[in-house]
Parts: sequence; C-alpha cells; structure tokens
Amino acid sequence: MLGKLFGILAGAAMLYGTLRGQGEAVSTAVLEGASDAVSLTIALCGMMCLWCGVMRVLQEAGIISRLARMLRPLLGLIFPHAARTGIGMEEIAANLSANLLGLGNAATPFALQAMAAMAEHNPDPASATDDMITLVVLNTASLSLLPTTLITLRYAAGSAEPYAILLPVWICSAAASAVAVLLCRFSAAWRKRP
Amino acid sequence: MNPQKLAALLVPFVVTAAGMCCLFGRRKNYFDAFLTGARGGLETAVGLLPTLSALLVGVRMLSASGALHDLSALLAPAADAIGLPADLLPLLLVRPFSGSASNATFSALLKELGPDSFPALCASVIMGSSDTLFYLFAVYFSAAGIRRTRYALPCALAVMLFCIFFACALCRIFFG
Repeated sequence: MLGKLFGILAGAAMLYGTLRGQGEAVSTAVLEGASDAVSLTIALCGMMCLWCGVMRVLQEAGIISRLARMLRPLLGLIFPHAARTGIGMEEIAANLSANLLGLGNAATPFALQAMAAMAEHNPDPASATDDMITLVVLNTASLSLLPTTLITLRYAAGSAEPYAILLPVWICSAAASAVAVLLCRFSAAWRKRP
Repeated sequence: MNPQKLAALLVPFVVTAAGMCCLFGRRKNYFDAFLTGARGGLETAVGLLPTLSALLVGVRMLSASGALHDLSALLAPAADAIGLPADLLPLLLVRPFSGSASNATFSALLKELGPDSFPALCASVIMGSSDTLFYLFAVYFSAAGIRRTRYALPCALAVMLFCIFFACALCRIFFG
C-alpha cells in the first residue's frame, strides 16, 4: 500500500511539476526530502530511546499494571461482555493504559492478544463481536496523555511552544473516545446480533 | 499556574518518576530495564528511516510541484465554509492509511507553514487524537480472523470526522 502511495506521489509531482514548469523545484525537493528523512529520524531517535526506556522502567516497577487495574471498573462499562466473562479483559486494560502513556508500539501487541482471546470464544467466528468493534474504534480515537512523537516532531520543526497543543489534544482525544464508545454501544443495542 | 503550563510538566514528571525508580529501586536494576527499553526504541526509530525516506521525498516532490498549493487554493472556499483550514487536506487524506506517511506529511506541513501557525496547530491536535484507521482495521481484525466488521467502519469514520472538526474548533478557542 505504501509503495502505491509513493508511486502516486512521485508520479503526480513529476507530471504536475513539468506542466507547471517547476521541474527544478521538484529536483531540489528530492534532495531535500531524502536529507530531511535523516534529520527527522535523528530528531525522533533521542525521544524514542528515552521514552521506551522510561516506559520499560515504569513497566518493571509495576506502575503500568497498577494503571490497568485502576482502569478496570471503567472498562466494565465499555466492554460489558469481556467484563462479565473476563475474556481478553487483562489485555484490553494493558492496551488502553499503554496507549494513555503514549506507547503506541507497546500497545498494539496487547490489542492483538485481546482480539485473539476474544476470537477464541466468538460464537460466529467470521463476524466481529461488539467488544471487538469497541476496542478497534476506541483505538482509532487514540486516547493518549503523552503524545511524545507529536511533541518531538513539533520541536524538530522549530516550534517555540512544542507542548502548547497538549491540553487541546487531551480534550479532543477524550471527546473522540467518548463519541467512539457511545456510538459503539448505541449501534450494538440497535443492531442486536441475530 | 495556567493549565497549559501545568500540562507541559507531565512529560518531565514521568521521566522523573522513572529516575526515582532507578535511584531508590532495590528490587531490580531499573537502569538495566531503561537501557533495554531504550535500545528497543532506537531500533524502532531507525527502522522507520527507509519508509520515511521514500514517503518524505514523495510528499516534498508533490509540494514542490505546486500541486498541493493549487489544490488547497482550489478547495479553500469549500474548506473555509465548513470551518477547516484548506492546508490540512493532504494530511487528512493520508492520516487514515499510514503512520509514516502522515508523519511525513505532518512534518512537511510544519516546515512549510511554521509549527505555531494556525493550520499547523490544528494538524497537531488531529495527529494527537486520531490514528491510522484503515491500518488498524486491517491489523486488528485479521488478528481475530474477522471478515464481517458489521458497524465498525461507519462508527470509526464518524469518530474520525468528529475528531477533525472538533480539533479545529478547539484550536480556534485555544489559539484563535
């Protein structure tokens, strides 16, 4: 999929740039883009190292599992079936707490384990259960307290206030998560499985 | 202290919490844990470079050809009418599909308009509160062997739309 995207971007740029007489600018952009990719990676490297290290420490100190335990009562409302049976609940709690701490890379494996655990007890294996859908839709709303990659990209671009977006991001992702849960619960009630 | 400043303290607070574990933790060697995690982070970050080099070049080429600028200008009246900055369009198009592509588009946008300009702030909030919808769908549902996703896609698209408009409205309140 990314290969196609690359092809479309480059092809469209070549065609449009030639037609508009911007060939030289497009040539320069190739050099700029390639070297920017390196400086962007270097900018991200430091923060990724620090953050993954910090999260590893908090994980070993048991802070992340404590956060997951604190989330449990709230999760019962959001995932009624998983809460009743206990299937996948542990993994869901771990996924959402890793997301909250801005640890996208660590959050994904937990979510996949949760999906697999729920799939084992799925009465209709080809159809998604309500709890699976809620988990996926909730993940697309990306509830995150510490969007470190975003802050680092802003810092790398020379922002005077890289942290300024933190509060609006919290409000927006909390609201989007609330909308996600409400929509999913509502749809589940409305389109009961036969 | 105003809430914005207080929010910015959360990141150093979490770093300090990890530092305290290393300082007072007796049960384990927490700094070893830190190094293990950091090494993993380094691998992830460096592993992104090959993808990023292709996509960032693509985005930069398209931007230099003038196509993005013309497209934004063309759509500006419509975008203004619904309350979105037209410059967000390329980002909104790639955001649901790929994390690397949206990081590339996002940083190109920051560089072009300045990271503290209004469209860049809106883009930042959208980046922070949305995720790569179609990618997540593919990975998560295939992990559970699901073919019928029922109401998942309409719900996720509605959440994404809500997020885009709400992010711009919030930016108008916070930075307008």
